[in-house]
Amino acid sequence: MTQSLFDRIGKAVLIGLACLSILLLVGPSLIVIAISFEPRGYIAFPPSGFSMHWYGEVFQNRQLMDAFLTSLRVAGLVMLVCLALGIPAAFAAIRGRFGGKSALNAFLLSPQMMPGMVIGIATLFFGAYFAWRQSDLMLVVSLSVFCLPFVVRIVMARLAALDPGLDEASANLGAGRAQTFFRITLPQLAPSAIAAAAFTFIEAFDNVTVALFTSDVRARPLPVELYYLVQFESTPMIAAISALQIGFSLIVLVILARTIGLDRIGR
Amino acid sequence: MSDVTLDALPPRRFSWRRRILEGGGLWPAVPALVYLAVFLVAPIVTLLGFGFVTLDRGQVADGSFTLEHMTGVLTDPLVWRLTWRSFWVAVVATTLTLFLAYPVAYAFSHLQGIWRTLLLVAIISPLLTSALVRAYAWIVILGGRRGLLNQTLLSTGIIDQPLQILNTSMAVLIGMTQIHLPFMILPLLAVLAERDRRFEEASLNLGAGQVATFFKVVVPMSLPGIVAGFALVFAVSYTNFIIPQLLGGGNYSTLAVQVYEQTIVVLDWSRGAALATLLLGSCFLMILLITAVGAHLTRWSEVPK
Repeated sequence: MTQSLFDRIGKAVLIGLACLSILLLVGPSLIVIAISFEPRGYIAFPPSGFSMHWYGEVFQNRQLMDAFLTSLRVAGLVMLVCLALGIPAAFAAIRGRFGGKSALNAFLLSPQMMPGMVIGIATLFFGAYFAWRQSDLMLVVSLSVFCLPFVVRIVMARLAALDPGLDEASANLGAGRAQTFFRITLPQLAPSAIAAAAFTFIEAFDNVTVALFTSDVRARPLPVELYYLVQFESTPMIAAISALQIGFSLIVLVILARTIGLDRIGR
Repeated sequence: MSDVTLDALPPRRFSWRRRILEGGGLWPAVPALVYLAVFLVAPIVTLLGFGFVTLDRGQVADGSFTLEHMTGVLTDPLVWRLTWRSFWVAVVATTLTLFLAYPVAYAFSHLQGIWRTLLLVAIISPLLTSALVRAYAWIVILGGRRGLLNQTLLSTGIIDQPLQILNTSMAVLIGMTQIHLPFMILPLLAVLAERDRRFEEASLNLGAGQVATFFKVVVPMSLPGIVAGFALVFAVSYTNFIIPQLLGGGNYSTLAVQVYEQTIVVLDWSRGAALATLLLGSCFLMILLITAVGAHLTRWSEVPK
């Protein structure tokens, strides 16, 4: 097909912008990974050599490792709370036969409308009423409110796509309702539950906007610790922590790709 | 005899079990509803309420309803200056993300196989990486004389004085645009991937050029995605306090940064609550405005009544 000059320029601009945008998406992360291997004490790109020195520093840093364990514990609990509340709620939102279902959906997804900071401050103020102070428990509560919509959305999407014919077939073949539920419906939900668990875990693990307000001031989680580090220092050690976090997120990415497929994440 | 047949119906004691397994009721959502009512609604009400009472060591003093904090915030010229800065930073960053995100989403809809998957990984992996990591990357790149950008530009002789980008509005804009890019790409991806290509073919067959087809057919059809992405990215940019703090430097403040500082650093919770109310209220107003403009622009897509 012949193209006018105008069309060719248009296409070039489009491709140029797309390339710039892809470079912006991946470039900074790649630079951070590269400088984490810097052997010297300051940042250079490309790094002056290859060394795992700063990774060693991270693992020997008592404060960082404590923060890492706190984050691991908190994110695990948030994940469990969100799954326990979110999966049944998604059931009611899809299979329910009652009035006001759209209101229910809107309410279940409403934490998404709130900036993390607002959820954090609101929980902090609410706790002050009962002399309940910043703690791991408060962090788990505030983060589970923040993360609940992720579970509800992912499981709802899967439930809506299930073939009701399978449940009918199961019933026609003589299975009771309980048997149909546990052997037909639930196994089909497993991939979305795993995806929801992985997504919630990484969001809770990485969160700083809620955690700055509700986390225990003496036992900070990793993102809060990192937030203060980034504000005052820029040693390659932060690059090493960042590279580890990027690695962590890639594991979650693989889990998501294997369970619900990457295409579905933005929907 | 009719009474006998009625008695022969399935025993009623099983009906609750059946109803539960059918999942037709509201009950499975009850735990989540109660949880949200206690840990989301009640706290938000507390937050909004704290802007209108006097606090004494975290406790509400009796009968102390006051508009003092609210008027204090609304009459403070500094607050208005910071609100204005939050607003324009968010608008510019959101517009930039739109211009960068659209070509990617459009390219994605034309890719196949491994390239499609790789592009999807490039779009989604930043979403799973902490915003702190990406803000740190920008500190490293834009930072003073030792920053990677200045190192490169100085050593190649393009400039002979280091550029001052970190700790300016420019750095905040760059950081926000890059960090929120995936939020704009995803809604666009959804509408562009599912669009009906026959309209474009028709437009090309009827003699329109590719650029004209792009702007007169593709872009208008994707308006719902543009509006959704614009509203989302505006909201997250307007309320972000991490990026201005890390990339704008110690003295750079926005409305969201003020909310953080009043509650965590200054510990003036009443003023913090009043500022948070202003932040939330103005943000929702803007979202309403964006959706209203969006509905106006896409009104042709509705079925006439």
